[in-house]
Amino acid sequence: MPPILEVDGVLKRFGGVTAVDRVSLSLEARHIYGLIGPNGSGKTTLFNCITGVEQRDEGEIRFKGRRIDGLKPHQIFHEGIGRTFQIIRVFPELTALENLLVVTTTDYAQARARAEELLRFVKLEGLAGEYAGNLSYGQQKLVEFIRVLMTDPELILLDEPAAGVNRTLLNDLLDAVRQLRDRGKTVLLVEHDMKVVMGLCETVFVLDHGEKLAEGPPGVIQTDERVIEAYFGR
Amino acid sequence: MKRGLLAAFCVLLLGLAVYPMAGTGYGIRFMLQLFMWIALAQSWNLISGLTGYVSFGHIAFFGMGAYTAGILIAKLGWPWLLASLAGGVGAMVLALVIGWPCLRLKGPYFAISMLGLNEVLRVAVSYFEGLTGGGSGLSLPALYASVAIYYSMGLVALAVTALTYVIVTSRFGLRLMTIREDEIAAEAMGINTFRYKLYAFLLSAVGPGIVGGLAARDQSYIEPISVFPLIMTITMIVMVLFGGKGTIWGPVLGAVLLFTLQEMIWARFIYVHQLLFGAIIVTVVLFMPRGILGVLQQKYNLPRTI
Repeated sequence: MPPILEVDGVLKRFGGVTAVDRVSLSLEARHIYGLIGPNGSGKTTLFNCITGVEQRDEGEIRFKGRRIDGLKPHQIFHEGIGRTFQIIRVFPELTALENLLVVTTTDYAQARARAEELLRFVKLEGLAGEYAGNLSYGQQKLVEFIRVLMTDPELILLDEPAAGVNRTLLNDLLDAVRQLRDRGKTVLLVEHDMKVVMGLCETVFVLDHGEKLAEGPPGVIQTDERVIEAYFGR
Repeated sequence: MKRGLLAAFCVLLLGLAVYPMAGTGYGIRFMLQLFMWIALAQSWNLISGLTGYVSFGHIAFFGMGAYTAGILIAKLGWPWLLASLAGGVGAMVLALVIGWPCLRLKGPYFAISMLGLNEVLRVAVSYFEGLTGGGSGLSLPALYASVAIYYSMGLVALAVTALTYVIVTSRFGLRLMTIREDEIAAEAMGINTFRYKLYAFLLSAVGPGIVGGLAARDQSYIEPISVFPLIMTITMIVMVLFGGKGTIWGPVLGAVLLFTLQEMIWARFIYVHQLLFGAIIVTVVLFMPRGILGVLQQKYNLPRTI
């Protein structure tokens, strides 16, 4: 099977800073991938380049063999790539239910049924009519997570899904991610919590100073000297 | 409760429909202007209240409508109602031409560009003397049609409010609000924000355009400073903020309260009303940024439709 996502030599500069420096990644369908690296290593910028929030300066990005670099974020979403944000971006003055309804273009009854199903999936059905801004941090995170699932995207990018989420909620969330994989989705997640990365991901990419430092199964990455050096210094 | 409100609203409409038979000349003119302000405030609310893109030059569409209709009436002898509708079309065309580049600007840059548009139009109108009469203005043939204009203004106010109701209760309206809430997230969730902003902008221009044409007919004389005044844009903004931005009835409430208040004070003290407006802006921004209806909605957890 050809890779579902190919990032090929992508480079992004902000003024004199090269945030992402000719990074190449290749994701196979039906797997969970992790993207790790110290703060400022370019993880979120790479996410932004893939989803069109930032325009890459060099390189190509292909999704299912089609080039998506240069497309607008809303076009990339409709190609089948959904994402969450590191800093929560729910629509605070829309209800939890409305946060989900705005995403789809299917008919209203169908969208509503799907939204209610997803709210039940994360046990938030009782808060459907509450303004998203009034929900707790963890609940907002869940709303953002299921909002991505409204259109059933094939590739899901999660930016620090575990940050600030309590243990019980986190286990539900990780279960949900595994279920997605089992249903044929591909997941790429940025995460600082090594337990989460090691327990969930099948392949891990390591970024440092914008460059890809290493790639491999979590067990191998954990003992890679260059990775340890990047995190803890020599 | 809902049925009672609906019944009260129908009685109110009926009362307004028969009012010209009993009202004084002053009363009819007062109501006619009130309808105009409701239509203006409600239109501003469509773009700025829902999408959060603050238009500081919205009166430009009013002026565009006034001049389109004025020229059609004075130079081509069009009937005033048709000319006013053409004013609405003219305003939409202007909104398309201006919105195409300017709605790509974010936040304050859009606000400033709209402010600039209004000033540019005023100068342009003064310059093309052959068509517009330039700085000395454009006179329309005399006509006494206050009652007919009363009904026309009332229908426009009602239509724009009905349009707002339909939009706010639809997914289209919710998507407009996502732009206000978080444009980057909206875009990342597959919403073509530029297209939605443009639709809202076009819809927000048509009401002021028609109302501008009707006002031109009503006053029988227009000049650049009378149809492009910044103070009118500010007034409609204050009405919406006071009543509750992004709500259906907030702009109506704000227009009714402020216009009535303004008339009462204006009649006695010429300058105090400007002072009062300033004070209201400061009070609203500081103490109730959601406006009267916004505060009530939050406090009593009311649905969006109230």
